[in-house]
Amino acid sequence: HNRVIQWSTLARSWWIYDANNQCAFRSAYRLMIYLQGKHKPVYGNGADIGDHVVVINTQHIALRSNFWRTFKHHHHTRYAGGYSRTSAWRVHEMDPTRILERAVHNRLAGIEFRRELMARLHLFPEAEVPENILSNVTGQIQQVQAIPKKLQDYTQEEIDKFPRLFELPADYDTESYKRENRLEPDKHTSMKYRLK
Amino acid sequence: MSNNAIPKDFLKNVMQNGVGRYVCQLQRITFRFCKSHGSSRFMRDFIENHLLDFTQKHPGVVVYLQPRRHRAPSIVSEYLNGRREVMEMAGKEVGDICKWTEHMRTRSGVQIVNILKNIHTDNPSIQDIWHPFMFKDPELAITKFPSEKFSVNLKTGKTATDLVLEELSADSYENKSKSTIDDK
Repeated sequence: HNRVIQWSTLARSWWIYDANNQCAFRSAYRLMIYLQGKHKPVYGNGADIGDHVVVINTQHIALRSNFWRTFKHHHHTRYAGGYSRTSAWRVHEMDPTRILERAVHNRLAGIEFRRELMARLHLFPEAEVPENILSNVTGQIQQVQAIPKKLQDYTQEEIDKFPRLFELPADYDTESYKRENRLEPDKHTSMKYRLK
Repeated sequence: MSNNAIPKDFLKNVMQNGVGRYVCQLQRITFRFCKSHGSSRFMRDFIENHLLDFTQKHPGVVVYLQPRRHRAPSIVSEYLNGRREVMEMAGKEVGDICKWTEHMRTRSGVQIVNILKNIHTDNPSIQDIWHPFMFKDPELAITKFPSEKFSVNLKTGKTATDLVLEELSADSYENKSKSTIDDK
């Protein structure tokens, strides 16, 4: 009986997390807790009792403000001239799981089991998960933020019912905020860095 | 902790022996000695003067005497759990031999080891030991993952939309309350 209690207490469970419209870095913080095993009362500093985490919809992850353009992933190949910087949106187009993977990896800095914990993180760009992994899942991690309601999600009745705060003058040009020299995406970079 | 040269174990107790009835765990003792050599003189003295007292006091223990020529004296005790302990008696005085036989009689046959913890309990927790499904919604057992119910986070702060609607409704409420006060 005691060994059954031991097996059940120290069992490694599988969790699933839906990253749809969630902030990558806040999600990384949440996932780090489950990977380390800090959500368990039997957590110990030297004991590796983290759980597996399956993340779906990493394709639809969110970053705040202008981070898609300004947040860079740095890489050096350890050869001369091998340094490169890539914007988050380029990385995302190349590999939709990379941003979240990097975020979790950086969050786990300083932890000895980082390599083992990262091996237990399973990232998928869409909701398709292999059956042998999905059948292991026994719990769901709650999302980090509420998904805001887009204009497309409002019904026409709700839009009509919403109180009008002010009226724009008739001659107001709504497109005037667009600058004259505003270029299409990717055209403001030199030819060397444009996506083919 | 990784050194396995010194035998070690957690504390164990045979709780039933002595609680109801007591069963002497010593099955038999063999006193090995030489009939002529000087190292066995105390052993011979013990056999002559003290051994019969021991046998009469403890009739449940089988006593053997084994004379061995030109060999040092020793005691071999065998226990009900099958273990065998040998104790050298060369150079030990009569009083010491008496005390060692008494020690052998009162032992269980368990090997003497380093005790890692000097506490033991069969009931370590009255609240029951934690397992991953404690304090979890039992509906988890029948949900198919990924599940909308367990994933959705509905907590938001006050959005700009909420503030706008609140202000507008507050205005109308204030107007209404003012009118009632004026009436009074």
